[in-house]
Amino acid sequence: MIQDMRLIELKGVCKNFGDTQVLHDVDLYIRKCEFITLLGPSGCGKTTLLRIIGGFEMPSSGEVLFEGKDMTGIPPYKRRINTVFQKYALFNHLNVYDNIAFGLNLKTPEQLGVQTKKEKKEEIARRVNRMLKLVKMEGYEKRSTNALSGGQQQRIAIARALVNEPEVLLLDEPLGALDLKLRKEMQLELKAMQQQLGITFIYVTHDQEEALTMSDTIAVMNGGRIQQIGDPKGIYDEPKNAFVADFIGESNIVDGVMLQDDLVKFRDTEFQCVDEGFDTNEPVDVVIRPEDIMIVGEDVGMLSGTVESVIFKGVHYEMMIRDEIGGEGQGMLWKVHSTTMQPVGTRVGMTIVPYNIHIMHKAKTADAEPVSETGDKEA
Amino acid sequence: MVRNKRASKALKGTYLALVLAFLYIPIVVMIALSFNKSVSRAEWTGFTFDWYAKLFQSKQIMAALRVTLEVAVVATAVSTVIGTLGAIGMHAMNTGMANVLVNLSYLPMTTPDIVTGVSLMLMFVFAKVPLSKWTMIMAHIAFDTPYVLFSVMPKLRQMNPNLYEAALDLGCSPMKALGKVIVPEISPGIVTGALLAFTMSLDDFVISYFTSNTDQNLAMIVYSAARRGVEPTMYALSTLMFVAIMALLLLVNRRSGLENM
Ligand SMILES: Nc1ncnc2c1ncn2[C@@H]1O[C@H](COP(=O)(O)OP(=O)(O)O)[C@@H](O)[C@H]1O
Ligand SMILES: [Mg+2]
Repeated sequence: MIQDMRLIELKGVCKNFGDTQVLHDVDLYIRKCEFITLLGPSGCGKTTLLRIIGGFEMPSSGEVLFEGKDMTGIPPYKRRINTVFQKYALFNHLNVYDNIAFGLNLKTPEQLGVQTKKEKKEEIARRVNRMLKLVKMEGYEKRSTNALSGGQQQRIAIARALVNEPEVLLLDEPLGALDLKLRKEMQLELKAMQQQLGITFIYVTHDQEEALTMSDTIAVMNGGRIQQIGDPKGIYDEPKNAFVADFIGESNIVDGVMLQDDLVKFRDTEFQCVDEGFDTNEPVDVVIRPEDIMIVGEDVGMLSGTVESVIFKGVHYEMMIRDEIGGEGQGMLWKVHSTTMQPVGTRVGMTIVPYNIHIMHKAKTADAEPVSETGDKEA
Repeated sequence: MVRNKRASKALKGTYLALVLAFLYIPIVVMIALSFNKSVSRAEWTGFTFDWYAKLFQSKQIMAALRVTLEVAVVATAVSTVIGTLGAIGMHAMNTGMANVLVNLSYLPMTTPDIVTGVSLMLMFVFAKVPLSKWTMIMAHIAFDTPYVLFSVMPKLRQMNPNLYEAALDLGCSPMKALGKVIVPEISPGIVTGALLAFTMSLDDFVISYFTSNTDQNLAMIVYSAARRGVEPTMYALSTLMFVAIMALLLLVNRRSGLENM
């Protein structure tokens, strides 16, 4: 259960490496027991932000608060945070058991709630075995970490962090090296573990699907800035700008002009929509998801076009349809998902209902280019 | 084409054989002579272990063996510690400064032994440190350390940089992380470095010659004996030194071979 308390709070966090600024004014709070995902393309600063929370990097400016207290200058080993590193970072000189027991061995008997050294050993054995069971690696105690597969190493890395019962677990693309099937499995398992243990997870990934399926909250990042924070549905349904829309789904993004409230013009055609509060004739980004375009008869659609390619994607067909604006073969390509297939070369009509048309302000921060330092924050 | 290939192959083979012959025939001859009954180099009068037996009866040679081993063990131990810590320090530095230091550390490996020996001797004389076994040990530490440094550095570079952070993450202070994670992870490099340092100490003559006084190591014994006219015991001693050093180097090679697999 997510509690309302703000466990971690970042205020105006900036980070420079030499002359390049990789984080711009990041504001973010994380609640107790929340599963929050930092989502963004490679190089956008996710790992850096995670390392700042873990205490491995210091912010160039701004504050990191833990339960309201400033954490600046507190080294990692004094934070109630553990990390699952991108490449696992298991200790090759230790076997599986000793890897997991590593953190507990550093604690005093009192910290583990026992008196003697012997009891400490037993307590550690009990906790390590519980973890091995949790990550389904019982019987691997004596194995060398070198002899494990990627998925197994990943489980040990998770167990090694979780056994310390941290308040917060940081995970940096922990499933990145796994194949698709295993990744899907581990996603479910990780989510279940998080709910079972009631630990706050801060999860980094560049995989939007992973973020959407696992998270309570997603912070979409680009170019060192947070573009949007929200729950998965909110971000999927109401992306704040074209970058978020494009990154979260494989959307069609079109230049348009807002004619008045609830009326937008793009591809030389006027469309009803449900967006208000834009300036008259304001240029906007119009975002339409592939599954929101309906294929209709060739003369009854709002737009018409010709199917140029069809790929079967398992549950639906992905078709690329070129509209007829600007002359034969000059139109733009629309990505359309549909459960019924239209053969290549077919002329079809396309219809979009008003609430599936998403209008967005043209965002300065919308593209992957480094953003200028003047920094008016869109998100 | 085929003929050409065969010719070039034959040429390569001959060349290799010549080089190896040039390098190893003298050693083979020496080893053979160490088993020769006759004192004379000119004739072979039969096989014997006498020279080896004599070797172990000679007080002087046994004393030199002691010195050699003492110096090698102490110098290896100290230079392994200094070299390992030095490598870790340089690894943690920013690259510009570290590069300067790395290159400075290379220098002693490339300067001729005679230069190192003479300059160390001068230093001891200036500092008014009487030459002894201890100055010899200090000199050995000086030339052994770079070998440890350069065996450990690559291991540090190969190491996943997150390992140190993982140790901190799990509750280690920086010192504990060093002892519990970094040193064990780079231990293959440390052992290789120590073996190399030990080998270098065992067979050093020039630097030892300039930095010690009455304490002689085995190489110095061979040298002074050779000036008086070589006896077959010296062949036997040299053979044993050759075998010991060969074995150590093979060990080092095997280790690095295994690690690179
Ligand atoms: N230690 C560092 N020194 C210099 N630049 C760095 C360092 N760490 C990261 N960067 C740069 O910061 C940017 C963000 O990196 P990172 O946080 O790793 O991104 P992500 O995890 O989202 O892929 C990248 O352009 C990267 O090159
Ligand atoms: Mg990263």
